[in-house]
Amino acid sequence: MSAQHRPSSAAPTASQGPKAPIRLLEDIRRAGKTWAELAPRWGVSEPDPPWKTSLHATCECLSAAAVLPVLERRRAEDELGETLYCGTPAPEQQLLALAHTMLTRGLLSEEELARRIKEVRTRLVAS
Amino acid sequence: MQSQHDHDHAHDANAAHRAAPMVDEISDFEVLEIAVRELAIEKGLFTADEHRRFTEWAESIGPAAGSRLVAKAWTDPAFKARLLADAVAACREIGLDWAEPTGTGTPSDYMEFRVLEDTPNLHHVIVCTLCSCYPRPVLGHSPYWYRSPNYRRRLVRWPRQVLAEFGLQLPPEVEIRVEDSNQKHRFMVLPMRPPGTEGWTEEQLAEIVTRDCMIGVALPRPDRKADDPRPVQPARRPVESTSANRAAG
Repeated sequence: MSAQHRPSSAAPTASQGPKAPIRLLEDIRRAGKTWAELAPRWGVSEPDPPWKTSLHATCECLSAAAVLPVLERRRAEDELGETLYCGTPAPEQQLLALAHTMLTRGLLSEEELARRIKEVRTRLVAS
Repeated sequence: MQSQHDHDHAHDANAAHRAAPMVDEISDFEVLEIAVRELAIEKGLFTADEHRRFTEWAESIGPAAGSRLVAKAWTDPAFKARLLADAVAACREIGLDWAEPTGTGTPSDYMEFRVLEDTPNLHHVIVCTLCSCYPRPVLGHSPYWYRSPNYRRRLVRWPRQVLAEFGLQLPPEVEIRVEDSNQKHRFMVLPMRPPGTEGWTEEQLAEIVTRDCMIGVALPRPDRKADDPRPVQPARRPVESTSANRAAG
């Protein structure tokens, strides 16, 4: 896998510090529906959201590309899971921690992530 | 060719074949996962095919391979000796290759794997105090509690108490050895074969070797299989209903 990547030039609000809240992710954390809430409402007994495996694969790929090594990611998950994202269930917490870490490391910018979230939502709603 | 209409009726005629319920609602978390992945691919951090390969691999793993290793070791002393001597090589004998899915394994699963044999006086249990290292090729994905700081921090300090919280109370004469996994080493417990399983086939034995037995927080029992229904026990001292919660109900 290629390790070639350039940190985004646009500084996210995460530049205030690696543990500072990021508005975009805070909005999702507060308003987002976790699998633990959604599944029983739809009568689904599957314990994990369908995107969980994909999230793990993204983590593995980032590690294989030496962009975000396993140990650094897990440390960030621990720190953020006990602070900012404490109280959010495991798969959603891991996702928020990954997005948070990628933003604070400049791998993504908050603006482009917000834009892509909007695009993805529009696409899913239309399908 | 069968029409969609007829097809649906055919399904309705047999309720057992109806599709399982699904969450028909888009969640912000689902959208976030897709957005992060797509941007990472567009930036060239990895390719869509690499991501697919990891996903395919991750969805194919589970504790069944570990159960087979244990059952085979219980019935074949020569295999057990090979398993204890070189576990990665022994895994290949049951068709499990630690080099999957890339040819050199995954970044999270280094190809150093050792099997820890329990004896009447020694019980093993595994943990990863640093993060969440786990023998995924043989046990699948780690349970949430294995990753929790609560388990990781307390097991090394108070193993006997933590095991008791799982319902495993070991006599004081049994030594408990906690093996700390790390980035380079993975471990799995080879529990003792329980009495009452004499004459069982390898397949029968594998059914009672649950994931938790191979982590070391439980012992195999002839009356307990991995797919047994969860026991439901009535409360011994049920909370008396009050006039307030009766009204609320």
